[in-house]
Amino acid sequence: MLLLANRLVSGIVKAAYIAKKDAKLYYFKWPNITFGLFLPAIIYIAFSLGRSPEIASTLPGLVAMAGLFGAGAILSVALPLERAKGTFDRLRAAPVSLTTIVVGKTLGGFFFGTVLSTVYSLIVIPFSGVVLVNPVVFAFGIVLSSFTFSALGACMSAPFGDVPEAMPPATLIRVLMVFLGGVLLPVTAMPGFLQFIAFLLPITYAVDLIRQGLAIQIATQMLLLDIAILIAFAVSFLGLAVLILKRTLH
Amino acid sequence: MDTVVSVQNLTKRYGRITAVDNISFEVNHGEIFGFLGPNGAGKTTTQRVLTGLTKPTSGKVKVAGYDVTKETVKAKASMGIVPEVSNVYDEMSAWDNLIFASQLHDVPRSNRRNRAKELLELFGLFERRMDRVGTYSRGMKRRLTIAAALVAEPPILFLDEPTTGLDVQSSRLIRSYIKDLNKNGTTIFLTTHYIEEADQLCQRVAIINHAKIVTIASPEKLKTSVEKHQIIEVSFNKIDNLESRLSSLSGVIKISLSGDKFMLHVDNTSESIATLVNFAKDNGLVIMSLNTLKPTLEDAFVELTGISPEVLTREKEEKKGAAVG
Repeated sequence: MLLLANRLVSGIVKAAYIAKKDAKLYYFKWPNITFGLFLPAIIYIAFSLGRSPEIASTLPGLVAMAGLFGAGAILSVALPLERAKGTFDRLRAAPVSLTTIVVGKTLGGFFFGTVLSTVYSLIVIPFSGVVLVNPVVFAFGIVLSSFTFSALGACMSAPFGDVPEAMPPATLIRVLMVFLGGVLLPVTAMPGFLQFIAFLLPITYAVDLIRQGLAIQIATQMLLLDIAILIAFAVSFLGLAVLILKRTLH
Repeated sequence: MDTVVSVQNLTKRYGRITAVDNISFEVNHGEIFGFLGPNGAGKTTTQRVLTGLTKPTSGKVKVAGYDVTKETVKAKASMGIVPEVSNVYDEMSAWDNLIFASQLHDVPRSNRRNRAKELLELFGLFERRMDRVGTYSRGMKRRLTIAAALVAEPPILFLDEPTTGLDVQSSRLIRSYIKDLNKNGTTIFLTTHYIEEADQLCQRVAIINHAKIVTIASPEKLKTSVEKHQIIEVSFNKIDNLESRLSSLSGVIKISLSGDKFMLHVDNTSESIATLVNFAKDNGLVIMSLNTLKPTLEDAFVELTGISPEVLTREKEEKKGAAVG
């Protein structure tokens, strides 16, 4: 039991080192800043043109979108680029498991996504008149969403050995998620079959969870359901990423 | 003698292609074991399986007593890996690269900086430790890659083509590091296609060709095994019209001209030297040089793999070109 605990702690520490290294290498790369910071704003502005969406209803979607693109930007680069350059084998040559490496990469994307979501919140909330009723829930929503999106990014980039292969399908999936996941339009306003698809997407639950941070009264059951589903998504994405890498690397 | 690497009936297939075909061998503690073969023979695949980077299709591989497939992390803790292409982070400094490597290799926090300093000094990179590795020469990157593999002082070091594409000075430097490491007790598994490198460094050599091991022996034993007849290298003050006359001398089996020297394959060296001296005297020639030659490891390699020396030379040039390009 003690041995297992030691291995777990060692794995988490090494994953944190990998995340720190990724932060140094990739956070300040211009494409990641552009992709993570500006793309959500561009999509939001494009959607808002000609309409006057209520900021309180679209803010959770905007914040979730920042996490989605922020975390995704790092993972679309960090994993395939390192495979193409051979530096991924440097990680694999060390006494660390593939799971630790994937968790490390995911943490790298997660921090970036969290920072971008927070930046969007800090910019929009003071000017929109939106009241942050439950800041803890709001912050937790950002954190859990970013982690889930980062794990999704790991999963989507795992099959690819270079950035040009990994980027287009991942971007397409993310943009589709934005339009189908109740980010810009409430899920209830969507046609029936699209509502069904929306409930299969993690972003739907992320938006709902973040929205609870702005709600006067928290719907506890929904809150717990959102959290449970996002955790289930995150674990599944991580597991799938490890599985795909195992198959493609050997 | 303790076995530190044990390979039993290892096979690796990629679809229909068999990269490694049922090979078995052992590497003993404290030796430099060379893995020699032409391009595409299965050298790098074998090393990737041995280091846990690729899973075998079948067979068993143990490193430091750990099954590489089942106890991968434990096995990796006892090895340092230097891949064919230097894979340090170009965007980071040499210092940060080594600190990061030591973090992943469980070097105690208190010892990381000292170890990094020690290795950077040893490999002559300390002065440029804070420069981005992207600004380094190929030889410097190679040295840093080896240094990064040594952060945790592993008992076994796997080196894949450590000197390919390097200039003579860098190659010599790296070979001297390898010798020193081995003197200090590190077991070394050296994958190379440079026959001279294997000859200079290795206590034993496995020759692999077409995914199979052809032979395993010491370089000297390999040379002796192909020593069917002796070679005398002789040059005179004149060359003209000598080849046919020399070939008709008693005891001469084969003759060829290499530059201004005749290479005479003979049955008995001492008798043939006496015959040559007499031949020179009778024909008013002056012997400029006379040497007896033993077969080289390259001769053994050519004999055992069936690869012609020309093909071997071309492969070397291609590899060098690819590494430089």
